[in-house]
Amino acid sequence: MKAKLAILIATLSLGVPSFAHRLDEYLQAMIVSIEQSQIHVSMRLIPGVAVSSAVIAAVDTNGDGILSYTEQQTYAQEVLRDLSLSLDGHALQPHLRTVNFPAPADMKEGTGEIHIEFDADLPTEGPQRTLVVENHHQPRMSVYLVNALAPQDRNLRVTSQNRNQNQSYYRLEYAQASPQQDSFLLRWRSRCVTALAPFTGVPSMFRLGMRHIVEGTDHLLFLIALLLPAPLLAKRSRWGAAGSIRRSLVQIVRVVSAFTIGHSATLALGASGLVSLPSRVVEVLIAFSILVSAVHALRPLFPGREPAVAAGFGLVHGLAFATTLQNLGVGTWQRVASILGFNLGIETMQLIVVAAILPSLIILSRTPAYTAFRLGGALFAGFASLGWIIERLFNVPYLVDGLVDRIAQRGVWIAISLIVISICLWLRPTLFLSDQKMIHE
Amino acid sequence: MQASSAIRRCFLLALVIACQRSGVAESSTDKVVGAANKFLATLSDEQRQKVVYAYDDEKQRSRWSNLPTGFVPRAGISLKDMSSPQRDAAMALLATVLSPMGLEKVNQIRLADDDFKVNGSKRGPRSGPPGGNGGPPINPNGPPPPGPGGPPPQFGGRGGPGGRPRFGGGDLFGSDLYYISFLGNPSTTVPWMLQFGGHHLALNITIAGSRGVLTPTLTGAQPATFKLNGQTIRPLGRESDKALALLQSLDEKQRQQAVLNYRVADLVLGPGQDGKKIAPEGLKVSGMNDKQRAMLLELIAEWAGIINENSASARMTELRADLNETWFAWSGPTTFEPGTNITAYYRVQGPHLVIEYAPQKDEPANHIHTIYRDPTNDYGRQFSNQ
Repeated sequence: MKAKLAILIATLSLGVPSFAHRLDEYLQAMIVSIEQSQIHVSMRLIPGVAVSSAVIAAVDTNGDGILSYTEQQTYAQEVLRDLSLSLDGHALQPHLRTVNFPAPADMKEGTGEIHIEFDADLPTEGPQRTLVVENHHQPRMSVYLVNALAPQDRNLRVTSQNRNQNQSYYRLEYAQASPQQDSFLLRWRSRCVTALAPFTGVPSMFRLGMRHIVEGTDHLLFLIALLLPAPLLAKRSRWGAAGSIRRSLVQIVRVVSAFTIGHSATLALGASGLVSLPSRVVEVLIAFSILVSAVHALRPLFPGREPAVAAGFGLVHGLAFATTLQNLGVGTWQRVASILGFNLGIETMQLIVVAAILPSLIILSRTPAYTAFRLGGALFAGFASLGWIIERLFNVPYLVDGLVDRIAQRGVWIAISLIVISICLWLRPTLFLSDQKMIHE
Repeated sequence: MQASSAIRRCFLLALVIACQRSGVAESSTDKVVGAANKFLATLSDEQRQKVVYAYDDEKQRSRWSNLPTGFVPRAGISLKDMSSPQRDAAMALLATVLSPMGLEKVNQIRLADDDFKVNGSKRGPRSGPPGGNGGPPINPNGPPPPGPGGPPPQFGGRGGPGGRPRFGGGDLFGSDLYYISFLGNPSTTVPWMLQFGGHHLALNITIAGSRGVLTPTLTGAQPATFKLNGQTIRPLGRESDKALALLQSLDEKQRQQAVLNYRVADLVLGPGQDGKKIAPEGLKVSGMNDKQRAMLLELIAEWAGIINENSASARMTELRADLNETWFAWSGPTTFEPGTNITAYYRVQGPHLVIEYAPQKDEPANHIHTIYRDPTNDYGRQFSNQ
């Protein structure tokens, strides 16, 4: 009350009812800057004209009209004592950094600004933090402003600010993600990395699957032998003319899909250790499957039921694939991922091979040369399979493996020449006809 | 052949467009540089030395204030100390660098200072507006009207015992106590600054090639409503009206967010607070509808549009892109009579923007300070590496 009265008297005696600048208030503006382990506060204290003498008197304790260094420091410490700082309920100790005073004459005019800067150390732990700043310095004559700088540190995020009506109380809530604790994004990234860890082997398993088909010529030979008669229609106990292209395609797709389903099933079961057969039995059975399809290519054994046969023998082939996969992977997810990748590799390579020979099969099946091609292929597959059966059954080295491998190594060239030959054969009647026409003319 | 001729045609077209664009940009800067050089040419060597500072003179750069020039002396040369041709050249320069709206605002702020010089505060001993047409005609380009015998009575005490002699006489207020200064020499390529300011006005304009930057700029007025030749003038009237309209367009929920529960006594980022980004508060614009967004942009344009159109449109494009990250906060009463100035504080803040409107306690509706900043680009530092 006394201070207010003093201000009133001062105002009246000066005869200054209004000014172009601050008059009867002591403006105290704080800007708080938060960092991980400390806060930095800059304060501007601007006494209005009518209150400046009171402020100057508070600083100039010996009344000599000069604001000495000691007086300035003492006053600044007084200001800090009138503040109350806390973080999460724990009191903070402000450390005075700089003090800057204007000339007393400027203060008397209401234009001088006192600058005080201080720091306070913060305890480091805690993701959710609450900073409270209270200013009790000269409450009767003062108006307060307090704001926080938008944090420079990306790990700090202001979540709410609250003040009382005159801003003498300020509560700043902010989230602090310490670098060790990771930010939200980093946390999610590490989660994704953990979740995807079992799948890191997938690409290599995929490549392994593809290589297995390229090198495992027995699987390919089985499939090709089975596909040889696919475009044809069985007529009693013989292979007749080619069916429609649509029928041929559907038949090929059905055979390939059935084989895939079959070997995928046993691959999964075998790789997870649920089903197992001695590998020699499996190998012999595979050779036998080739023999069966080779014979079927010569004479229809099971016309129309090729998909079922493909699926059945697929089960056998899958067991062979599974042996490659055993002892791979530790965790369940890792095993699943490995099986998936391996199988995808197998399917991809299989599709590439089918896509390479499919046009030739369809085109050739529409030429008289197809019978020769079918018989040749069937005989080759048959002899190879017989060789493999003997080789695997009696464990004797035989020529077949090396021979077939050498042919398979030239697979790309074989496929290309096959297409070229089949197109030539297909076009021959037309070429022949046009030749005749030219002779006539 | 065809393809190459098409490419050649496209290239030519691009070249023509590029030339046209740079032509437009250059013509704006060219005009400003031309007007600045014309003004500088009217000065004597001695005056010129007082007016042109080094471009990197940080002290001069931040020498601006809301206060009268008698309290915070400005550098450069005042309109009062200029000859008539010099004053004309200075005003012509302002007319080039500012938009017509900006120039009008600047002149009305100056006229308010004339009114203050004559009438003082309305609450002062000689309170009440000048009767009817009692106000002398004021030509913004011309010298101020003679005050009725020195400073207004409320400043009379200033010259008394203990007061400082520099406040004696009529040198505290008036539309001619506005100073012009330069940092660096006017150039179409090398960055330079033009400062124009006095009581309640600080324009800090950086010209960097085709760009013109108006931040930081301070506008203010006391009186914020006055009569001149029977006309009511409110230098910052639209700043008040548009903000109030925006506030009143908010629904209850938006308003609860926008209106702060505490008093803001003054500008937070006034003179001396360069480059500071405070944590935003209030209503985020992402929660505003299209109409409210348009109103906010209209409000922002009261500051951004002070500079000439070329620079203002580039600035508005930037601020429009920031809109979703921009905030609007209000402190104080929310209802006012139409046509009067609000007594509430408000702030518009975005990634590249701070606008504060702060009524002053002595006469809240009639004494206003405002600040306009780009905390990332005060004094066009982005374009000048200074």
